Amino acid sequence: MSTVEKPNPLKQVNDAVDSRWSELLSRVHMERTTRRMLALVVIAFALFAVLAPNVFLSAINLQNIALASPEIGILAVAMMLAMLTGGIDLSLVSIANLSAITMSTIYTAVAATDPAQAEAMMPVIVLAGVLVGLAGGAINGVLVSVVGITPILATLGTMQIYNGVAVAWTGGSTLYGAPSALTAMGMSTLAGVPLLFLAFVLVAVGVGALLNRTPLGLKVQLQGANPTAARYSGIRGRSVLMSTYLLTGLLGGIAGVLFLARNPTASADYGASYVLLVIVIAVLGGTNPNGGYATVLGVVLATLTLQIVSSGFTAVRLSSYEYAMAQGVILIAVMVLDQVRWRRRRRRPAATVAA
Amino acid sequence: MSAPQSSATSWARRLRGANNEGVLALILLLVVVGMSIANPVFLTLPTAFSIARDAIVPLILALGVLLIIILGGIDVSFAAIAVFAGYATVRLMEGGTLDLGLVAAFAVAIVIGGCLGAINGWVIARFRLPTLIVTLGTQGIFKGALLTYVGGKYIANLPESLAGVGTANVLEVSLENGQANLHVMVIPAVVLAVVLAWVLRRTMFGRSIYAIGGDIEAARRAGIRVVRVQVWVFVIVGAMAATAGMIYMILGRSASPHELVGTELDIIAAVVLGGASIFGGRGSVLGTVLGVLLVQVINNSLILAGVPSAWQRAAVGALLVVGVGIQAIAARRASQVRRVQEVAPEPKEVAAV
Repeated sequence: MSTVEKPNPLKQVNDAVDSRWSELLSRVHMERTTRRMLALVVIAFALFAVLAPNVFLSAINLQNIALASPEIGILAVAMMLAMLTGGIDLSLVSIANLSAITMSTIYTAVAATDPAQAEAMMPVIVLAGVLVGLAGGAINGVLVSVVGITPILATLGTMQIYNGVAVAWTGGSTLYGAPSALTAMGMSTLAGVPLLFLAFVLVAVGVGALLNRTPLGLKVQLQGANPTAARYSGIRGRSVLMSTYLLTGLLGGIAGVLFLARNPTASADYGASYVLLVIVIAVLGGTNPNGGYATVLGVVLATLTLQIVSSGFTAVRLSSYEYAMAQGVILIAVMVLDQVRWRRRRRRPAATVAA
Repeated sequence: MSAPQSSATSWARRLRGANNEGVLALILLLVVVGMSIANPVFLTLPTAFSIARDAIVPLILALGVLLIIILGGIDVSFAAIAVFAGYATVRLMEGGTLDLGLVAAFAVAIVIGGCLGAINGWVIARFRLPTLIVTLGTQGIFKGALLTYVGGKYIANLPESLAGVGTANVLEVSLENGQANLHVMVIPAVVLAVVLAWVLRRTMFGRSIYAIGGDIEAARRAGIRVVRVQVWVFVIVGAMAATAGMIYMILGRSASPHELVGTELDIIAAVVLGGASIFGGRGSVLGTVLGVLLVQVINNSLILAGVPSAWQRAAVGALLVVGVGIQAIAARRASQVRRVQEVAPEPKEVAAV
């Protein structure tokens, strides 16, 4: 396209970009909450890019955001799944830690006699970690679906159990040691993007596909939206819940692998503040805590928002305590805005609805 | 229906309690007896007094959580309120420039806690938001504000008036092998428990809390001012948390803004163990007291039994899972029985709440 002969080239390019953009937007149909999250990500990013461009926009800082997001993000996606069925999974972080501890212990035990073999066993070790996660999820699943305990209580109990086992196992100390292949994976990048972040994207896409493209995903959503209706439409609540908690356990195990890949240490009290943070992220991402509604994209964007705010606060030299405040303010503000808008819409039907 | 049989079953039911308090008391008794047989050191006055001392702060916090749970919510911000109020008060009095004395210090802390609780209550009641989400948010805000604006340093020496109470005992018993001391701060905990039990059972306010927790819409139609009760409950819980925070600092004879936060879920577990229903409308002070004591006894007895203290958490978790598991199975069986009874209706007395 030659823009030289046209009267106002800049305007023309502008128009072209505009129409492309709106076309793209209309093609990518997004839920309202997801759009809001996207706006928040952009606003947060722009804000800190303006406030502290030198620090915040540096390649290292951006890579750090991409490195810190995956483990929290995967846990948040798992939390979202549990919330989607109207439940909650408080034991996620304990599961992840237990998985990391298992892997570290196996590696150290094998490496004591034969370091080369320990390295070679990397896939087996990772598999063991993921299996621990699955087992943790299976126990949750049995308690929730077969025994019939309310998810918040069942996972509150198992959280204490898994964490207690981890504390007893490690004696409260931090374990060192991870297969160097795993650590290398944690440090390597692909075209500037950390591999761990790609793993996060992969998991998110996988869960998204599961929710939107498979019968199980549909069942999970229906189960959360209306358990009674789901039962009468022939959905077996028990097996849906079982699958959900197996899945959250699996994701917890994967998060444990990421813990170890990012940092070759494992301890029982790693990420203690994650339990509540992950709930914050899931709700911020548009997940209805009562079940029935959630989007993976929203949760991914919420993870990014909080990471951007966190590293942005560091970049403009605010403390982590101020970050904790910001986190709370963002959560409550978003919830309040949601509620106000929802109520206004209900009061004034149709006529003056602002999309 | 024959009279003796019905009176026997009603006695059994009364002993069991509305929220299985009887069962809990039995378990507590079994643990105590079992531990005493395993290790005679357990059944001594010093052990009992030290368990009582350890239970003070968790008990007051748990009673606050009980109120919120009966109301049909969940609170995870109370620990942040406790630490905020306690630390801010100590900070205010620090350096001896302003020594308020014990009573005034507690008053200041309670006012701070009440205000923070009011923020929780206002947001929750005004915008009808889920309590878990709001208190998650305010937890971060309170803790962040405390560390940013009030201070973050560890205070090793409490002001005179508070430090003195830290070593005061209400009961000192001399034994042949030492002394058993019951800390004076047991008194406020006991008084609080008794007053709260009375409020919940005998006052309009207390019954309103149960009514709202049972069915918020029904409570509203029955003429209960739902928003007002909700806000007041959160204010009271804030004040109670503040009391616990002050006592925590006094017992520890130091003040640090990094304490307590992180123990929320343990406290909630004790309350649930005490028979309070997470869905609201059910729960009792007696049950909560037993729940907290059981957790403390287990923590204390595992050490005496030679089990590494690391297993405490797992033991409490296992107890919680077994406890609520049995309840869940019982509830399911009851609903099946009810379904059978619907086919052949039979007069059944209404269980007292």
